[in-house]
Amino acid sequence: MKKVRSWRTPAKWSFFKFDDRLLLILIGAIVGISSGLAAIALNRSLISMLDMLHHYRHLWWAFILPGIGAALSSVFLEKIVKEGAGHGVPEVIYSVSRRGGLIRFRSSFSRLVSSCLTIGSGGSAGPEAPVVMSGAAIGSNIANFFSLNDRQRITLVGCGAAGAISSIFNAPIAGMVFTMEVILGEWSAVNIIPIAIASVAGTEISRILNGNQIAFQHDHFNVSLHDTLICIALAIVAALVSIILTRLLRQMHKVSKKVKTPLWIKAGIGGCVVGIMGFFMPVVLGEGYHFIHDMINGTFSTGILIAFIAVFAKIIATSFTLGWGGSGGIFAPGLVIGSLVGISFYRIIYMLWPQVSWMSEGCFALLGMAGVISGMLQAPLTGIFLIVEITGGYEVILPLILVSAISSSLCCFFEPASFYLKDLIEKGQLLRPRTDARVLADLSILELIETDCLSVKNNMLLRDFIKIFQNSKRNYFPVKDHKTGIFLGIINLDNVKPYLFDNIIYDVILVEQIMDKNTDIDTISLEDDLSGVLKLMDSKNLFSLPVVSNKKFMGMVSKATILNKYRTELMIQSTK
Amino acid sequence: MKLILKDAARSLNLPESTILRWIQQGKIPMHKKGSFYICNQLVIEKWAKEHNLSFSFSENIKKKCDNLQSETLVYALKRGGVLYNIDGKNTNEVLESAVNKIPFIESTKKNEITTRLIEREILTSTGVGKGVAIPHPRSPVLLKKHDCAVITTCFLKNRINFNAIDNKEVFVMFILLSPTTKDHLFFLSKLAFCLRDNSFINFLKTIPEKEALFEKIDTIEKNI
Repeated sequence: MKKVRSWRTPAKWSFFKFDDRLLLILIGAIVGISSGLAAIALNRSLISMLDMLHHYRHLWWAFILPGIGAALSSVFLEKIVKEGAGHGVPEVIYSVSRRGGLIRFRSSFSRLVSSCLTIGSGGSAGPEAPVVMSGAAIGSNIANFFSLNDRQRITLVGCGAAGAISSIFNAPIAGMVFTMEVILGEWSAVNIIPIAIASVAGTEISRILNGNQIAFQHDHFNVSLHDTLICIALAIVAALVSIILTRLLRQMHKVSKKVKTPLWIKAGIGGCVVGIMGFFMPVVLGEGYHFIHDMINGTFSTGILIAFIAVFAKIIATSFTLGWGGSGGIFAPGLVIGSLVGISFYRIIYMLWPQVSWMSEGCFALLGMAGVISGMLQAPLTGIFLIVEITGGYEVILPLILVSAISSSLCCFFEPASFYLKDLIEKGQLLRPRTDARVLADLSILELIETDCLSVKNNMLLRDFIKIFQNSKRNYFPVKDHKTGIFLGIINLDNVKPYLFDNIIYDVILVEQIMDKNTDIDTISLEDDLSGVLKLMDSKNLFSLPVVSNKKFMGMVSKATILNKYRTELMIQSTK
Repeated sequence: MKLILKDAARSLNLPESTILRWIQQGKIPMHKKGSFYICNQLVIEKWAKEHNLSFSFSENIKKKCDNLQSETLVYALKRGGVLYNIDGKNTNEVLESAVNKIPFIESTKKNEITTRLIEREILTSTGVGKGVAIPHPRSPVLLKKHDCAVITTCFLKNRINFNAIDNKEVFVMFILLSPTTKDHLFFLSKLAFCLRDNSFINFLKTIPEKEALFEKIDTIEKNI
């Protein structure tokens, strides 16, 4: 029986006990395969759903389809699996930073179903973020199944995300880099290796099932110096567009929150708006990969004005889909918007300088994508590697790096936090490893409390107190009620020094007469947040604070102990 | 050697709750076995070293700290012994002859200790009144065989002027030699407490036998 049970706790096998790297690599591969399969599942079901609905697209009432899809997905998320809307990446980052990577099992399929409904029916959103969420949830639950600890679970969550991105884009490096840059936020060898393996596994699954195809294959591009220079201007435009997209999405969330109707009606309204827009401008519908394909190959035939309007139409459609309760990611819309930006930009410069031989239109579309993705995620490396891999366009690497770098730094200037992290930072829940916030969040008051204070009773004479204080190492003496034991106040030796040497008053004064009453002093409780405690200490220039729980004195917390434990914690967090 | 959670926490000088959290977060190489968390001492020692944490798995430190608490005045007095009929006309002479008679001071150190005791007397007298003096050097001394403090009781042959605070002539000296300042203060305060009691002074004036003296001190000390 014991043997049977032990296969579920491989971390205890003596082979893995002292170095779990091999274990993580093995399980990481399993996670990569599973999340790769999830990605393929979503991809296949999206394709079949699009095929199914294709016949109805030209009918006059087709505008209602995205509405129905979004409403259904909202109903599914809210009523059936009881999860919030949204694309999932912030939820994954939140669980990595605050919950040790714990994600519910149902998250591994909920976003797949809901985003399939939203996107398949024509809503403007991407399948990548839902797939990341599923992959991460699969990783987390596999880690739980094998009873792994928080650190190992976080690595496996990263493996899941990497496997998903690698599989859906057939882009292993992008999956790795996205996970390190956006999801985990740290680059350590312990994490990189299993995540790399998961990326390989995820990509391999996608290649076996879908064939080794590069998503946006294109002809050869010739890039010359003046092309590289003009990219600086493109980067600025792309940055502006991604700022507009980010702000509009958030604004739309706020607007839709004010509307007091059930969530599914909201999602339906948003979907219908998108449907109406799509009637006039089909490019805004769905994930839009088909159009990216056209644009990169230079077969996207609409005029400059239409392309320009399409940029904004897509932005608005995306914010209506996601802001009003549809489910899906911003990755694919970002790519579509980026390529539209690139095309519009090309057509404008072609108009201004028709005699210059610019690189082809498709190349600008590609660079535009990199600019918008890097700007929106504020993750330049993800932008660079993703575009290189999904287009197979290594020859544009120089302008690509330039565009990504400039765009992400410009966006960083206007929007200090990326689209994914903004909500988390506002709520103070983004805790990257080895940061102040992380250390303070990990330490609890219970670990810092010092209980070697001698407590005294309120009806004690000063003479008796003197005897006690002679044997104490501390300068603080909590005062308890002699009957109930309730914390009444504290004696701070610094404040009572003058009375201690006056032996005439030894038998006249009671302890409660020289204490600082608990109503006048600041106290903290065991559940308090350490950052709040430190803020209190700093604002009032205090060095110790009494901890009171249920009206009883528990101990003292002092700055000296905090420094000591803080340092220890920081040393522990710096893993190799 | 296997350590359980409690040992690990004590060796690292951290609360158990911290270690438990580290286990859960996977930061420390400890594993659950049955209902216990265990780890190998060598593994955890190596781990602590890698993270610059101090690790000490021994109970010696604790013993050292407890040393002073189990120490009593009587032990110090017994270690120092009692000397009678110390000769001399003034402070310097009595100190010199007393030090010469103390058996456990090596002959090479006798001069040095005498000089240091006299130096201290020049600063201010150690005559604490009521005919008692507590000569001691200004800084700790290390005697070869004793790493603990010793107090040698010296009854003088003749009463001498010690420049005491109450100008009374001194008839008994407690020479206090201690290895640390902490010990020094500890015994000084205990001795001073005994000497506050007038009946004890009167008892000393009878120049009691060794055993009687120790017994008396023991009873006083127990009442502190």
